[in-house]
Amino acid sequence: MLIGAIVAGVVFGLYFTLVGLGLNLVFGVMRIVNLAHGDFVMLGGYAAWWLLSAFGIHPLVAAVIVLVVFVALGMPLYYLIVPQLQRARDSEMLSLILFFGLSQMIEAVATIFLGTTERSLPGRVLGIGPIIVLGARLPKPWVFSAAVSAVAVAAVYVYLYRTRLGTLTRAVMVSRDEALATGIDVHRVSAIAFGISLALAGIAGVFAPFMLGSITPDIGVGLNITAFAVIVVGTLGNPLGTVVGGIVYGVSLMLMQTYFSSWANLLPNLLLIAVLLVRPEGLFGRQVRRA
Amino acid sequence: MTETIDDALLQADGIESGYGKVQVLWGAGLAVRPGESVVLLGANGAGKTTLLKVLVGLIPAWRGAVRLGGTDITALRTDRRVRLGLAYMSELGVFPGLTIEENLRIGGQFAERAVLRARIEELFAVFPDLAGRKRALAGALSGGQRKMLGIAKALAAGPKLLVMDEPSAGLSPLFVQQVISVLGRFRAGGVGGGAGLAMLIAEQNVAFLDLADRVYTLEGGRIRFEGTVAQLHADDALHRAYFGLA
Repeated sequence: MLIGAIVAGVVFGLYFTLVGLGLNLVFGVMRIVNLAHGDFVMLGGYAAWWLLSAFGIHPLVAAVIVLVVFVALGMPLYYLIVPQLQRARDSEMLSLILFFGLSQMIEAVATIFLGTTERSLPGRVLGIGPIIVLGARLPKPWVFSAAVSAVAVAAVYVYLYRTRLGTLTRAVMVSRDEALATGIDVHRVSAIAFGISLALAGIAGVFAPFMLGSITPDIGVGLNITAFAVIVVGTLGNPLGTVVGGIVYGVSLMLMQTYFSSWANLLPNLLLIAVLLVRPEGLFGRQVRRA
Repeated sequence: MTETIDDALLQADGIESGYGKVQVLWGAGLAVRPGESVVLLGANGAGKTTLLKVLVGLIPAWRGAVRLGGTDITALRTDRRVRLGLAYMSELGVFPGLTIEENLRIGGQFAERAVLRARIEELFAVFPDLAGRKRALAGALSGGQRKMLGIAKALAAGPKLLVMDEPSAGLSPLFVQQVISVLGRFRAGGVGGGAGLAMLIAEQNVAFLDLADRVYTLEGGRIRFEGTVAQLHADDALHRAYFGLA
């Protein structure tokens, strides 16, 4: 039972890495907290539901469509919101308020147009039957979702560490002022990072119906708290630390559900409080911001 | 009023600027000729950093104009100015969380790949301490090595004019002399085979006057003196202010 919980936890952890990765990328590059991140996950989920139910489009294809649409949506949204925010004296606090408002707005509009009925997708579209890993029986949609998450994390790693634009992105993460002084087009780099962040949220959303069971317009708030727990554990501003945070969260969640199931929902908040009290720089970091 | 120089590479006139409602610069101006080395002397709070930031486009000029090679660059963003040949070394100067090689690649971000590769090899030949630690994080370097990397990073852009903000900041006298020695080689055209690099160095350390073809002094956001080092020494009040009692 213990091994099973740990294996399932790693699978869940990979998925929650994907949920938190974009949030951490935006914090690292822009020093703002996108409280609407979970709502973009929710929108990705509804996009997958609509594409499958209306056109029969497979979730993997839906993920590619969501990737393109959310990047295209994220870049203008960045230019609309973030440069103004960063000119403010207390941009981090202002970002909390502004993105909380955006989150509420997205949820309200989604409720008006989509209703409050729970939507789910049939697991069979991602495969039937369990996959056995180290003796643990895992539903195929979980493994599929975790595999897509792993590919997305690897893609972000390649982007950050193997491309010219990624190096510039890490430079902005290290020091925005030095980046400006070196002549880096900080807004262009940040807009692309914002677009990638929304795309990661959207892709996580595509697989949310499989990992969470169903989606409703109000899942954004809960996902935000979970994403926060993941990135605080894995170190704020360090996108790849999110992997550590996600797996710690996933394994803890599965152990809680196995041995103390009635307490499992408290886990994100418990992790947040514990890490902030004991090791506020996160398990993976020595400082708040590093590339 | 700063003298206008016909063949100036960089010419700034009547610069007024500041932060929010606080005005720091009150009509400051200066000029740098191609290949010339100019030192901007001033005490803490005189407005040196603010003037440099206006010159490189990090903060806007409220009034006045900045021209580079005859082109008005007053309204251009920093990245455009870097493309035109103006490189800036801030007090931090490097990205501590990136490797030495990444710092150099970012410094030369606008150069063609082959040109940048050759330029980085050339810089490693000048800075052998850095060459042996290409993959080391800049944050792991000593203060002096970090300064050298800052200079190399700025030079990776292949600039016509290198603008430096207090390169002596945080360095021991020994390292200050090393920095001056390295900059002296660039001034003489010792690297790259071309004409000497034009430099504008904001400092309060008078040791950098060894590099200066001309000097400006800045006080309270205004240029108080412009001339040669010999003329600076000849002015009793300035001599006392910057070198102590004779």
